[in-house]
Amino acid sequence: MEPSNDLPKFAVLQLSGCSGCEVSLLNSEEWISNFQLVYMPLVVTSNKIPDDVEVLLVTGGVRTDEDIHNLRKGRSRAKKLIAVGTCALSGGVAQFKDDHIASEAFRQASHRLRMPDMLPHAYPIDRFVDVDLYLPGCPPTPELFMTALKDPEGAKIPAIVCQECGRQKLNDMRPTAITGTRSGVVLPDICLINQGYVCVGTSTRGGCGALCTRPGHACVGCRGPANPYLNKEPKFVIDNLRRVFTRMTDIPEEEINAALESPWLSLFLDQFTDYTQDTELPTRTKEKML
Amino acid sequence: MTTITYPLSRIEGHARVVIDIHDNEVFRADFQAMEMRGFSHYVRGVPAEQITVIVPRICGVCSTAHQVASVKALEDTFGVTPPPLAQEIREVLLLGQLIQNQATSLFIFTMPDRTNASSLFELSQTESARAREFSLAQMALRIRKIGTDLISLAGGQFIHPIKTVIGGVTSGIPREKADKMIHTIEELLPVAVEMVDIYWDMSMEMGDRIGSWGDDEPAHYLASTGANDYRLNSQRLRVMLPDGTEAPSFDPHDFANYLQISESEYSYAGISSYMGSVVRANSLARINLSESLGTPIADAYRKRFVQTFGKPAHAIMFFDICRGIELVYALEKARQMLECDLEHGETEVGYSPKDGVGYGLVEAPRGPLIHHYEVEDGLIKSADFVIPTVHNMLAIRRALTVVAKRYVSQDGISSELERAVGRVVRAFDPCIACATK
Ligand code: SF4
Ligand code: SF4
Repeated sequence: MEPSNDLPKFAVLQLSGCSGCEVSLLNSEEWISNFQLVYMPLVVTSNKIPDDVEVLLVTGGVRTDEDIHNLRKGRSRAKKLIAVGTCALSGGVAQFKDDHIASEAFRQASHRLRMPDMLPHAYPIDRFVDVDLYLPGCPPTPELFMTALKDPEGAKIPAIVCQECGRQKLNDMRPTAITGTRSGVVLPDICLINQGYVCVGTSTRGGCGALCTRPGHACVGCRGPANPYLNKEPKFVIDNLRRVFTRMTDIPEEEINAALESPWLSLFLDQFTDYTQDTELPTRTKEKML
Repeated sequence: MTTITYPLSRIEGHARVVIDIHDNEVFRADFQAMEMRGFSHYVRGVPAEQITVIVPRICGVCSTAHQVASVKALEDTFGVTPPPLAQEIREVLLLGQLIQNQATSLFIFTMPDRTNASSLFELSQTESARAREFSLAQMALRIRKIGTDLISLAGGQFIHPIKTVIGGVTSGIPREKADKMIHTIEELLPVAVEMVDIYWDMSMEMGDRIGSWGDDEPAHYLASTGANDYRLNSQRLRVMLPDGTEAPSFDPHDFANYLQISESEYSYAGISSYMGSVVRANSLARINLSESLGTPIADAYRKRFVQTFGKPAHAIMFFDICRGIELVYALEKARQMLECDLEHGETEVGYSPKDGVGYGLVEAPRGPLIHHYEVEDGLIKSADFVIPTVHNMLAIRRALTVVAKRYVSQDGISSELERAVGRVVRAFDPCIACATK
């Protein structure tokens, strides 16, 4: 398509995050010929979101009082709002280990001159505004971004990461301990669970193309729960994973349990499921989840 | 007292510049980081081996540097030495990050300052201008994409990469994929050179128009790349004094003896100095501290730079020019490295976790980055991230004061001030997510 000034307008509002979502979006060159980017402070100098925006992408979690203000203002100016990335869906890494020690550290650090105040927690954006579509991932791949912008209804997202992984689950290769990378070799083509890794691809939403597991790194679950586990407590996901590990390995149960509760996994597992405990959050249906 | 506030765009993260003016005189100029990430709080108590997945999320722009620094810090703690092939693959990974970053800074962040546009993607009303702008934007994104593709190739994915693990990397780079990458680099290197030339000319014109290249005083320079070896997977930190002589280099273990880091009440970012002096890191520091980059086109640019501007060169806008030289270097170097066999041989060694203290250094696009961990009972007891942007904080503030003085006179505040402030900050390419880790 020819470049023009009549293309649909889209904007990107960045709350508290790492910019990784923006960097990913920039990689899908395609949008320059399909959309007009009118607001995205990372790459455009413009101080406000215009009020005729077709799509507003919101990245990052809500961490400061200024974030709440900007988010509400942004919502009022856009026809459609897409929550992009794990941070916007859950509060994100900023919510990781959100215990009182961390909260206290934030509270103490927060008293600075002419600076926005930090909130005691990091919140998902749908606690404050209506969301039309959720795009999980840390970050979502450029392809998923384009799907979200162009044709979310027509998208076919693989149910779980295993479907895209290409590694084979073997019956006769049963590890007796979690070795992780300590052993020094990752065998190609064989499921990482068979090799003693804690891979959570079996319960994680597909669509990423199994970017991590194909070169040999266990899935950490950044796209969140697959459809059967949406809006469920963390226990449901963990129980499912425990079943997988009991079926496929001879690792002692305590070791499996300890591994599944590790912060590495809770970085993502808890994030997506924690919101079931927050009654102020709306239910997220699978139709709204990309 | 009048206070002017300029929110900043086209940099990583949320920041602004605040200038206090009294009686047409600049009282102070500050650079404020408006958010706080707080990773050193979150990672306390995390099993040490898992931190390498968590800390790349400090920043999606510099995630590669954080991931490698994190792995190196744990290798230091555990006493593991990765095999040579893994070191080479990590270097390719970091070159990818340099390409991505310098292309982004040059074309997306700072080129619009040279054309007075609001962004690289802004299109004019006239059709002919539009076509040219569109093709510039496409070329810029394509060059940038070589960087992200290289990161994917060597790191598994281009944001928050995963292939670097304690003891090495999870897999090598297959010949077929390396060849494809070489082909793309060969195709786009001339385009990159053309873009860098356009950028260099635009910068000269801008310097002439403004009548200055950024007339701040000389500073100290900090980098961990070598004089004749521009390796980003680096080992030691080097410092150049304002007169061009070099101070003794130091090991990352000793950083606290040389770099003093403190908090600021005006910002969520810290501030560091080199033994009390203003120090600068990033592209200009590396080029000032280098004798040769070791690739032909980049070396020709470096020679031209030194002949035109001297060594050390001090003006602020030279940071941008040096990024152009580095972009070309990283493309050439990546091609060279991909020609070698990165597929066969040992990619990782086993290890057993140990308690202790470790340091991991890499040369990130913005300068030397150090991760420093203390591990107790297999858990992270404390984690400290020594961030390149923080080293530049004093230098940014000083440069802003100089520029504010230039544009605030008895006639009042010049309308050029806002643009000048943006140019100065972008020259340092600060990363706010990292600086407020
Ligand atoms: S979801 Fe991941 S990539 Fe996106 S802003 Fe958050 S940490 Fe960064
Ligand atoms: S469990 Fe992990 S490694 Fe195994 S098939 Fe699924 S995604 Fe792949």
